[in-house]
Amino acid sequence: MRKILPAALILLLLAAPWIIAKPFLVHLMIMVLLWTVLGASWNLLGGFTGQVSFGHATFLGAGAYTMMILYLKLGLDPWYGIVIGGLVAALIALPIGYLCFRLRGPYFALSTLAVAEIIRLIALNWESLTAGPVGLLITTLPRVTFWGKAINWESKTPFFYLAVIIALAALLATAVISRSRLGAYLLAVREDIDSAEAIGINTVQVRVAALSLSAFFAGLAGGFYALYLRYIDPDAVFSIALSVEMVFIAVVGGLTTVAGPLIGAVFLVTLGETFREHFLVGHLIFYGFFMMLAIRYMPEGIWGKVRLWIKKPATLGNSS
Amino acid sequence: MSLLKLSGLTKFFGGLQAVSELSFEVQAGEILGLIGPNGAGKTTAFNLIAGFISPSAGEILFNGENIGGMKAYAVTRKGIARTFQIVKPFKKLSVLENVTLAAFLRFPARREAEAAAGRILEKMGLGSKLPALAVDLTLSEQKRLEIARALATDPKLLLLDEPMGGLNPTEIDQASKLVRDICRGGVTIIWVEHVLKAIMNVSDRVVVINYGKKIAEGTPEQVVKKPEVIAAYLGTKKR
Repeated sequence: MRKILPAALILLLLAAPWIIAKPFLVHLMIMVLLWTVLGASWNLLGGFTGQVSFGHATFLGAGAYTMMILYLKLGLDPWYGIVIGGLVAALIALPIGYLCFRLRGPYFALSTLAVAEIIRLIALNWESLTAGPVGLLITTLPRVTFWGKAINWESKTPFFYLAVIIALAALLATAVISRSRLGAYLLAVREDIDSAEAIGINTVQVRVAALSLSAFFAGLAGGFYALYLRYIDPDAVFSIALSVEMVFIAVVGGLTTVAGPLIGAVFLVTLGETFREHFLVGHLIFYGFFMMLAIRYMPEGIWGKVRLWIKKPATLGNSS
Repeated sequence: MSLLKLSGLTKFFGGLQAVSELSFEVQAGEILGLIGPNGAGKTTAFNLIAGFISPSAGEILFNGENIGGMKAYAVTRKGIARTFQIVKPFKKLSVLENVTLAAFLRFPARREAEAAAGRILEKMGLGSKLPALAVDLTLSEQKRLEIARALATDPKLLLLDEPMGGLNPTEIDQASKLVRDICRGGVTIIWVEHVLKAIMNVSDRVVVINYGKKIAEGTPEQVVKKPEVIAAYLGTKKR
């Protein structure tokens, strides 16, 4: 059962663009997968280590700009650009981590907010690199053949499969980490930093590792996001609203679980995109509303609650 | 060479001298009681040795190496483990997981770490509680869990910060036996305690501090007779 269910879901996912041919629905699934990655990214840090970041858009933006700049200025294929974007985000996370993790609790959360704003302002003003508020635009994508056929960039299908790959990678990484010694150490940090130090865990290093891994996936998502939209500007990829949406998805889905971000994304993105049709930014009102409901009635999140019904809570090496 | 040697250890918090020119030695294999009235600087001394705060002056020699100012995790890796006065279990993890996390330090493989954790918990009388969440244990059990977790890092020196605070007389007797057993197992112990009866029965030697300074040192019998100690605990007679 534990192996068949994910496999069936993956097969269903791969066949989805043919089953559901409507472009809006394929777009919806792409957004769900994108937010699954971002939720999983936030979960790696916020869920496993309990360190609340309000600045994760920093890493999304870093990935997006890396991919865009490499493609537009150096002509590097977006595939490589997305991966390098993830690596750049992971690298940027190192100094941020070593600085901000000197602080604890709310002070850490505030420092991530401050760093995100600083980086947004840098992106806004470093016009020679980022074109500032004008933003960067991809007019043509390179001709890529896959099994002898040229990929049709006007269709949403290739983006869908790319999103599937990145989302599966993020969920798989979460599963692997949650079973590893590092994953156990992350939980120790979440439970009590002093006790973690007392049993020989270098908690700064462990938290920086979690932040960097988390940033890698946010960076991948950012590179993909830029390729999919073909246009970015600092407010579109470095905004606080994006950082906050990541928190919503991870928390509503279920912290410290593997599937939580996927469930959270399915739930919130579907609702959000549906309401966006009618109310513009109104989707954030619904996000906030469901966040409140989740905090009040199921602080362990939707998937966390379901897990409580069917088996024991997520602990070391047991967090599907 | 003594296992631990403090010389001139001093810590200021702003203008307050919490620990002042504190010097004493601990020999391998002994149980040293560290006592003193409230606010005497006992816990500060522990925090200094365990690396939770760094000294303003003075040295902490462990096996001849100055560990003063080292980070807490590094001190633990050197072989000094501690417990906290107010227990700090990993609340939402099970008893076995709590100790397994500590055992990872010496056994990187999960299976071996779990086996080591199981052995220690059995010795601490928590063998029947392995799957229970730490938060659901009684205070006495949480205190033993705290010691088990410290032991799982395989320390040479164990710092116990009031392991008997809040326990009833029966539990205190059990805990006293446990402390002696741990010492017989080859772990040197420094022990801060307010339950004087227990510490006098168990300790080989006692160091008494007041206002951050050492005011007496010796066997329990010697120390309780010293006028400075009586004055510190009971106050001085009015003339």
